[in-house]
Amino acid sequence: MNDFRPDREQTRALFARFALARTRHEGDPERADPDYERLRDELVVVHLNLVRFLAVRFANRGEPLDDLIQVGTVGLLKAIDRFDLDRGVEFTTYATPTIVGEIKRYFRDKGWAVKVPRRLQELNLAVNRTSDKLAIELGRSPTVGELAKRLDAGEDEILEAQELGQAYNLLSLDSELSGEADKKSQTLAETVGIADAGLELLEDRANIERAFEVLSGRERVIIYLRFYEAVSQTEIAKRLNVSQMHVSRLQAKALEKLRSVLVE
Amino acid sequence: MNQAVEQSFPEFVELRIPSRAEWVALARLAAATIANRLRFSIEEIEDVKLAVAEACTAVIQYDGHGEFIELSCEAQGDSLRIRVRDGGRQAALSGVKERIGFEEARVAGLGVFLIRTLMDEVSYDVHPKNGTELLMVKRLAGRPD
Repeated sequence: MNDFRPDREQTRALFARFALARTRHEGDPERADPDYERLRDELVVVHLNLVRFLAVRFANRGEPLDDLIQVGTVGLLKAIDRFDLDRGVEFTTYATPTIVGEIKRYFRDKGWAVKVPRRLQELNLAVNRTSDKLAIELGRSPTVGELAKRLDAGEDEILEAQELGQAYNLLSLDSELSGEADKKSQTLAETVGIADAGLELLEDRANIERAFEVLSGRERVIIYLRFYEAVSQTEIAKRLNVSQMHVSRLQAKALEKLRSVLVE
Repeated sequence: MNQAVEQSFPEFVELRIPSRAEWVALARLAAATIANRLRFSIEEIEDVKLAVAEACTAVIQYDGHGEFIELSCEAQGDSLRIRVRDGGRQAALSGVKERIGFEEARVAGLGVFLIRTLMDEVSYDVHPKNGTELLMVKRLAGRPD
């Protein structure tokens, strides 16, 4: 872990030799110069860890790590060819922006600006889908760890995707619907109608969802099945393995709770 | 909505998290939220998140790190100022000479190169008692509007 950085003195010596070979090579570019090629290769190998270090940090943006290492290495080569020992800066300082620049350009060429939110939204959707699926499998709400394992993502990624998925959704009112840069496309906000009665419904729903928090797990299940899925009390009783009378009592109690919360 | 956001500046967020990897996501999120309030682009927000994560990781991977990390994010005009401070018992005990954290830790070192690439301005401050502080600034690039 600590060997990311090649020895400073060694690197300087290598560059000094490379500078000589480079001058020779530039004097007569037609002639094959094994020294020049070898030193250049050696410098690349010595700094591959830097490329890797940087590429890994951009790997969560939706492109394969191998590709990033590859374009990062192109950046490294550019930096090696342009580096001048006399400038007195460490090569790592000089090369990092070049490598990162190359990686970022790659993302930009790939339409990256569209990709990031999409990736997050995809992960966000995947989290929602998978948590439903896992809930059925486990008979309870899954933990973040379980979701992360199933989706092959980090726990922090799951949490972030959930949060940011929402943030981006809220933001997207101002966003353009088509991703084409040269055309002014319609924004999402322009497509939203006004005074939609459905909005009030949405608000009611939000209130109800909040009110739901006062219910116990079983009460919530009953209300959900009864009023959202229109399942009969008898059927619910069968599913919960209790009597229909009991379901009826629990439902009455749950409705009373909801009523008192919503009236507030 | 945008107007409301602009009127509410300056904004300031402060966060103290345990010096452990599992809390870094929270720091990233806090920084991303305030960067978003400043209307940074998606790419810029990703850069800010990455820089914050690197700064926190630098603290965590540095052997003599403290018990917690303090993060403060400030939106000021068109710039975002983020401070990451290594704090707590151990950090306070070490002398200045030993407190070279951000600059010298080898892995952290590379992180710092990356941070310099991602942010517009980076500086350190070593407090004899309060540990190391990293200040990074990112300015809003020229917007078409």
